[in-house]
Amino acid sequence: MTTKRRPRRGVVIASIAAYLITFLILFPVLWISLLSFQESGQISTRPFSFDTLTLENYVTTFTTLPLLRMYANTLLLAVVSVTLGALISFMASYALVRMVFRRRRLQSAWRLYLLAGLAVPVYILLFPIYRIDLLLGLYGTYASLIVPYVAVSIPFNTLLFTGFLRELPTELEESAIIDGAGLWRLVTGVIVPLSRPAIATVLIFNVVYVFNEFPFASILINNPSLTTVSLAVSQFQGQYTVNYGGMMAAATIVLIPQLIIYAIFQRQVMAGMTVGAVKG
Amino acid sequence: MIWLSTRWRIVLMLAPAVVIFTALILYPVGYSLYYSFTDFKGFGEPHFVGLENYAGLMQDPFFWRALQNTFIILVVSIIVLIPGSFGLALLLHRRLPGAGVMRALVFAPAIIAPILVGLIWVFLLDPKLGILSKVLVALGAPDTLQLIGGDTLTPYSVALVFIWSSAGFAMTIFYAGLQMLPADVMEAAALDGATGWQRVRHITIPMMRETFAITSVLLITNVFKIFELVYVLTSGGPVHRSEVLVSYMYFVTFTNLQYGPGMALAVIVTLLGAIVSIGYLFLIRERKRA
Repeated sequence: MTTKRRPRRGVVIASIAAYLITFLILFPVLWISLLSFQESGQISTRPFSFDTLTLENYVTTFTTLPLLRMYANTLLLAVVSVTLGALISFMASYALVRMVFRRRRLQSAWRLYLLAGLAVPVYILLFPIYRIDLLLGLYGTYASLIVPYVAVSIPFNTLLFTGFLRELPTELEESAIIDGAGLWRLVTGVIVPLSRPAIATVLIFNVVYVFNEFPFASILINNPSLTTVSLAVSQFQGQYTVNYGGMMAAATIVLIPQLIIYAIFQRQVMAGMTVGAVKG
Repeated sequence: MIWLSTRWRIVLMLAPAVVIFTALILYPVGYSLYYSFTDFKGFGEPHFVGLENYAGLMQDPFFWRALQNTFIILVVSIIVLIPGSFGLALLLHRRLPGAGVMRALVFAPAIIAPILVGLIWVFLLDPKLGILSKVLVALGAPDTLQLIGGDTLTPYSVALVFIWSSAGFAMTIFYAGLQMLPADVMEAAALDGATGWQRVRHITIPMMRETFAITSVLLITNVFKIFELVYVLTSGGPVHRSEVLVSYMYFVTFTNLQYGPGMALAVIVTLLGAIVSIGYLFLIRERKRA
């Protein structure tokens, strides 16, 4: 490594290129935040005029948008479905990696069976699950969404958990068993604490999924009081029609908390969302 | 751990995931497949009609249009994203001031809900409101330019939006790949007088072949999942000219209530995606062995 005090020209050029690209990528988000402070009438004609900046859009949005309800709904959905999905996938993964099946082949066959779900796009499930929800009387309730969210999370969770557990050394488990731990104490006292990184990844990945999920919600929820964040956003265009400022304020209000949470958990989120590609 | 592995314990641990997976993933796939061969109207008994729904799609110009649009998006996105985000990863892998922050910022679009991404981009692409449209017209594009909502450009605009939301995601995978390269090889090449470009061309790219393959496969599967962007930007219009396979499936099934053709479309989308996903599983298995 060279330790010149003045940066080389290459570094300067590279930095400028990197800043420019980063700015271009951020531009759409900055742009709508800027527009959200603009009078609606000005947006199509003079979006740059600074003398017409206003907070009015935010006032409208806070009074018309069921912010609290949509966040509470989505949070509830996320907490319940992500917890259930992680729990049952972890149980299955533990059995698939650590327990001893009488027939070995069956063990890897079950794992492949669950992993095959990775190849199934949610779109082929929409109509059947809509019918199943109707049949079971779940249609229009939270359960109608929780059930598919849990199911859809199983393949990815299993991929991650089985991959993680396979690499985890068995010594600690063995010594716990020798100390007389039962299955329950073994899993809750030893395995789960050791698996914290994998569990965090799974939780983050799934929470992002549930918060952003739209196709299932658009079909299975017909009651405005059950609306999720994504559903509410999908209605902005109809709700605010030509009130572009209001639409942008609403979009910004949804965007900001998401970006703040991302900023806090940035490292984990990036790891969680790319782990399928990076680790396998 | 054999003494903990009684049969009922294994069943207890495995059953919840297997039952839910079977009931809500596997069974629905079979259900859709079955209904794609029937004339089900939402009520009454479904009648088996063989391949009629598939044959109907082959006659349906909107289906071909949707397929064509999907492939335009696929080709444009991959051509731009693979070299683009690899280049960006190389750039942000250098010791630039603020490189860490930039990596995080560039990734950010990947966590924004697709439905919100679509809404944001309305204000860049719309012929009347969109800043990008206005800039392009000011730069000499015809006044009639319609980045979305016109006859031809929508799939390219959807590709642009997809590129925007995936660039940081793909960059992050490449960046992780770059970090796994052995440093000594690079140093040896540098000592032998290889220039930066030579090192990238003859060492980095060949050593990261697998990362390129995996990133491509992931991006391709994600292109097949594009739905919300089209839904928000144009709703597939005008007259289904900007539809992609999934958005057209959604329309046929849930707006037109034509379940047979809708499920046939869903099956086609799934098959296209499955071919790619199987390739992906194959790739990660190969790597495990290596």
